[in-house]
Amino acid sequence: MTTNHPTVFLLMINGQIEGANFAEFDDLYCKYCFVFGHDWIPTSGLEEGISQISSQGHGTQCGLVWNFPLEITFKSTNPFGWPQIVVSVYGPDAFGNDVIRGYGAVHVPLSPGKHVRTIPMFVPQSTSTLQKLTSWFMGRRPEFTDPRVVAHGEGREVTRVRSQGTVTVSFNILTKDMKKLGYDTTDPHSPGLACPSPHDL
Amino acid sequence: MAELHIIGQIVGASGFPQSSLFCRWGVHTGGAWRLLSGLREGQTQVDSPQSSDTAFWSHPIDLHYTTKGLQGWPKLHLQVWHQDLFGRCELLGYGYCHVPSSPGHHRLRCATWRPLGSWQEQLAQMFVGGGPQLRSPDVIYSGADRYRLHTVAMGTVELELGIILRNFDKYGVES
Repeated sequence: MTTNHPTVFLLMINGQIEGANFAEFDDLYCKYCFVFGHDWIPTSGLEEGISQISSQGHGTQCGLVWNFPLEITFKSTNPFGWPQIVVSVYGPDAFGNDVIRGYGAVHVPLSPGKHVRTIPMFVPQSTSTLQKLTSWFMGRRPEFTDPRVVAHGEGREVTRVRSQGTVTVSFNILTKDMKKLGYDTTDPHSPGLACPSPHDL
Repeated sequence: MAELHIIGQIVGASGFPQSSLFCRWGVHTGGAWRLLSGLREGQTQVDSPQSSDTAFWSHPIDLHYTTKGLQGWPKLHLQVWHQDLFGRCELLGYGYCHVPSSPGHHRLRCATWRPLGSWQEQLAQMFVGGGPQLRSPDVIYSGADRYRLHTVAMGTVELELGIILRNFDKYGVES
């Protein structure tokens, strides 16, 4: 398992899309996909998926719960193009059509350990009031042809969006051979888990 | 040669008087740094929040620099603008922050400021909008000519940046 001069490093992601918090919408499901650069190759696991349809909880539980598992491993030669997870949330509108309720993206955490990320969601806005009205009637809201566009930085300056709701994702990250290749990803001063000294055991 | 990866996003902005906001950002470095991959500047989408007072952009930043020296460590500078119903853009704030120099995940809050004109200009700005802007964006991240400016504080921009350093310890640099 150990190589003296590795040329690739591995990134293993275990986690779940825990749930969402949308005040006005109910009966939502989400789709996820991973977007990554040219140097990255997924070696095992699922790159995309669709969750179940979930309703808001009653009583003290506010928010939707998906509890949707994420398991994927990447290998790469270069941290550029670090994977991002793109989450798209869909739900029914007043007439029963399936419309987009939010897009969001976040980079997979860089350092090993457990991390929780809250992703703000947004929807593209219609350009004119007439289009807003027609889309409300027809049930065809403005949406992106490819949700992956949310993970890229270029071409976004012409989009007008409205942010609504958040999605919570938790990650457990493992990396292999990043240190051997010279990459330093963890903060040495952060209060993390200390290795037990021989005196403690 | 030592390498630096900046992987993160411009999360959003809060505390501004208007709500339909976008941000123009750029990264400035010294002469010893070379950008290997990534976009060194960009503009986010325009966001009007539905219910909260924070505008969310989630604009991804992925930069790969290589360097021969520590001088001129990258600085991220921002301009927050407001776009109204008619599509006119108005400057709301300038701000900058240094890219963190220690590896790991960092949450940054960058405070912004806006140049203040004379009292006549402020009165006109209340009715007509607009307002003084910097002629060149260098003043945002350099201290050279700041003494000429009179500014007023505006909201804050939130960033989440992950930093990966490579080979810095080989050169004896502690971070």
